[in-house]
Amino acid sequence: MLLRFVIRNFKKRPFLNFIKVLGLALGLSGILFIALFLKNELTYDAFHSKADRILRFTTTNSSMFGNNHFARIYNSEQIPDLAATFPEIETYVRLAPMRGGVVMHNEQYYSINEAFVCDSTFFRVFDATLLVGDKNSVLESPGSMVITKSFAQKVFGNADPIGKTISLPAGQFYGEQTDFTVKGVMKDFPQNSHFHPELLTTPARGEISWWAFTYLLLKPNANPKNIEAGYAEFLAKISDRKEDEIETKAYLQKITAIHLHSDKLREIEANGNMTNIYVLSVAALILLLISMSNYASLNLGMSGFNTNFIAINRVLGSTPHINLRYFAAESVFIVLASIIIAFLISVPVNAVIAKYFGMNLFHTNSVLVILVVIVFSFLGILAGLQPVLRQSIGKIYRPSRNLFHRNKITINRGIIISQYTFAIVLIAAVIVISRQTHYALSNSMTPKDDNLICFESVHASVQQKFELFKEELLKHPTIESVSAMMEPPGGEANDQFGYELEGHEPPTEESQNRIGVFPCDYSFASIFNLEFLAGKNFTESNADVEGSGEYIINETAMHLLNYDDASQIIGKNFKLFSPGTPIQLPEGKIIGVVNDFHLSSIKKRVEPLVMFKRDKLWLLNFVVSYQPGMRETALADIQSVWKELFPAYPFSHEHVGAMYRNVYRTELLQARLLTIFTIISIFISSMGLLGISLLVAQQRVKEIGIRKVNGAQVSEILAMLNRSFVKWVIIAFVIATPLAWLAMDKWLENFAYKTGLSWWIFALAGALALGIALLTVSVQSWKAATRNPVEALRYE
Amino acid sequence: MIQLKNIDKYYDSRFQRTFILKGVNLEVKQGEFVSIMGPSGAGKSTLLNIIGLLDEASAGEYYFWDEPAHRIKEKQKVQYHRSHIGFIFQAFHLIDELNVYENIETPLVYRGVKGKERKALVADLLDRFNIVAKKDLFPSQLSGGQQQLVAIARAIIGNPKLLLADEPTGNLHSEQGEMIMKLLKKLNEEGMTIIQVTHSKENAQYGTRIVKLVDGLVQEDFPVENRK
Repeated sequence: MLLRFVIRNFKKRPFLNFIKVLGLALGLSGILFIALFLKNELTYDAFHSKADRILRFTTTNSSMFGNNHFARIYNSEQIPDLAATFPEIETYVRLAPMRGGVVMHNEQYYSINEAFVCDSTFFRVFDATLLVGDKNSVLESPGSMVITKSFAQKVFGNADPIGKTISLPAGQFYGEQTDFTVKGVMKDFPQNSHFHPELLTTPARGEISWWAFTYLLLKPNANPKNIEAGYAEFLAKISDRKEDEIETKAYLQKITAIHLHSDKLREIEANGNMTNIYVLSVAALILLLISMSNYASLNLGMSGFNTNFIAINRVLGSTPHINLRYFAAESVFIVLASIIIAFLISVPVNAVIAKYFGMNLFHTNSVLVILVVIVFSFLGILAGLQPVLRQSIGKIYRPSRNLFHRNKITINRGIIISQYTFAIVLIAAVIVISRQTHYALSNSMTPKDDNLICFESVHASVQQKFELFKEELLKHPTIESVSAMMEPPGGEANDQFGYELEGHEPPTEESQNRIGVFPCDYSFASIFNLEFLAGKNFTESNADVEGSGEYIINETAMHLLNYDDASQIIGKNFKLFSPGTPIQLPEGKIIGVVNDFHLSSIKKRVEPLVMFKRDKLWLLNFVVSYQPGMRETALADIQSVWKELFPAYPFSHEHVGAMYRNVYRTELLQARLLTIFTIISIFISSMGLLGISLLVAQQRVKEIGIRKVNGAQVSEILAMLNRSFVKWVIIAFVIATPLAWLAMDKWLENFAYKTGLSWWIFALAGALALGIALLTVSVQSWKAATRNPVEALRYE
Repeated sequence: MIQLKNIDKYYDSRFQRTFILKGVNLEVKQGEFVSIMGPSGAGKSTLLNIIGLLDEASAGEYYFWDEPAHRIKEKQKVQYHRSHIGFIFQAFHLIDELNVYENIETPLVYRGVKGKERKALVADLLDRFNIVAKKDLFPSQLSGGQQQLVAIARAIIGNPKLLLADEPTGNLHSEQGEMIMKLLKKLNEEGMTIIQVTHSKENAQYGTRIVKLVDGLVQEDFPVENRK
């Protein structure tokens, strides 16, 4: 009987009950996905069985690389000594990246995204499932290679790859072409790993040295602090220096912390960050609050319908227990219905996520899913029951003066105000974040038409043919301009050289007498539309002859060199000293000053930068711009030139716009996620408000009828019905504005360059919330106000 | 069966005490059909609610079958509602979401009567009241008289010793009202003790005794002559 009653009651007010169910279902699906996503983010690299003992070793040096913290170390050859010195270290593995390249098999080239030359200890440190081969011996001999299943599939199809030869072309890692033998096949690394190598190989000859990502496996219970603290002493010993001369500091970071807590230079892959975790957690909390309070608020509003029912039942001899059981049954029913709807929403959404982001969030997470559903259901049932209890507790447990109240509606203003407070904060956040990301992208080096593509980190032998490539391309009318640069758009210009400027007193400390350098091709300034404050662009005919070097500096560099007027510095003699490399840069003059441009993220300040041109040197990235609107033909032309000149290398390129979107992907993702959650939140709140306004209108039907009979106009009735809602939104606005301002001010602190927090953002957020609320409420108010009063009064 | 001694019912507002009932003494024996009459605001419904254990007296003693009902706990009240007292109201107060059959069945469900037995009891009553054809209809589909008929069926299905009726014909036109009053009289003749609140002298004539209440005091208490 209980169930029958619940279902009939549900059918009697299908719209209101549907709102309840939908609100809960949307809330549950949102929270479910956030929980799954957070779990995924928080468990990166935890699948390694020794995860708590694997630490990544990094160093900083105040006199090298501008004290920048790199994710890898440049002197990895010292690691065997380090491991021998410190008893804490059980073993180590170094991963020397084979950057942007291809491998060869049977005269065929295959591109690789991520590959390392590593120590034979790889499988002793990391957990990876070997499908073919033995963990302990597979990497034993030099030149042994292990490839992933998908890479094996790509290269060998269904044939057995073991014993086959894969070669690295000359110049990619070793000076000459080098052969490796495939000894094993491993499973692809799981999605929640901070690196996904396609192939691993032991060095073909010699030892690993120079740049390598370095991971130490510590002995159980070893203290990593000992290594950090003892590093200077160790370094002094192996380099025959005194300990206090050592400026290098060592750092050890747990492998599980890398994904969220590492923001170093040259990470293997782009990492996540904690801000997203916080943003999502707050979003989940808000979603939970809104969907729960919405349900509670509607139940509270509808509890008026139940007073009669409770009273009758009491007379008929029901106990408070039975009444409570009824409401619990109703709550359970609503929650169950919403779980079903949430399930119907989640399955396709999960499929979409799996398709576009390559992570199946439901997979192996059934325990978490069940836990989230159970906790949510429990809270939902409580939220549903709580207002009914509070409202009806007197009627259930105590005899009241008037046994039969009819349809007395209670509205919890607090809930509506807090829902709209959240809504306004969220809307303001969406506006601010969207504005900032738009600002960031429009201040990037993307041209207006995004008609610029980049070949990132091309192979050394491709670099050598840049001039030819440029020449061939410019024969095509579709191509506007071709240039090359050391760092790709969105990259980091981290290299610094010593310098000398005519009439400039160098800083006393040698380590500070350095300036950022940026080798680029002649057309660099024109292809990126750099504005000249003074001077001119490189002359194309200029040759690298001592005395005739040409240097263009950015505005920040001009200030560093103590000039305020750009025209004053033009023509001054200038010289750069390249450290460590035997390459000599010609002495020359500063020929131009350009406006600061944001090569990397606007989160970072623009550094002083000197641009210069060297033939066939350090021009790792090619950029090509084409006539706007001729994208298809231009790309076809570029491809044909590329295929002709570099048949061995894959034609892989990216639009500069996309590269910058990648730089700001965290913010773009935040903006997108927040927009989704804002829409869901506002939708749920509006549905709730719609329900409440429906109830209010129903309750006041008689009053409205009487007022109309006495001459009230529709507009007056509308104003009367909407007044209190408007008041609540205004209160919400007053609470929300300072909250939103504080939160967004904090968020914007991440950026060195940012848009301001103007008053109109908050006004707009408030106006939007008010507009949505009014629209929602007015639907009901209008119906109530235009109703024929005779109808309303007939039955009274 | 019922003995009220010096029953007071009052509400305290800030400076004064408003009496609804003041020193009401009343004894009702089994098999009586008492009509409580009086002007509006005399305290008739309050008195009925106190007798029906829906409300509590502020002072005084109330004995139901010699049990001190003014001292019993909520839990025991439920037992009284289940097995001793039936109610009917002016506004019928059927449960809108349940059909005729289910409405009548409800008290039996609360008493924990088994399904088969419930079915038999409800069928019996439907037959007796001539509403078998209406058993699947909902209250909104019935006329007022029919609704009150269902309400009476629901009130007596648990075989209560006492039936309390608060203006049972107040929302009905005279013909239907007469039908309901005749039914009540019949029930009384079969042994049911009935107390009704009514404004109508005519309806009071169906009972055996009239108690007139004015301003919370029993003004008159006399047996009915020329019972209808």
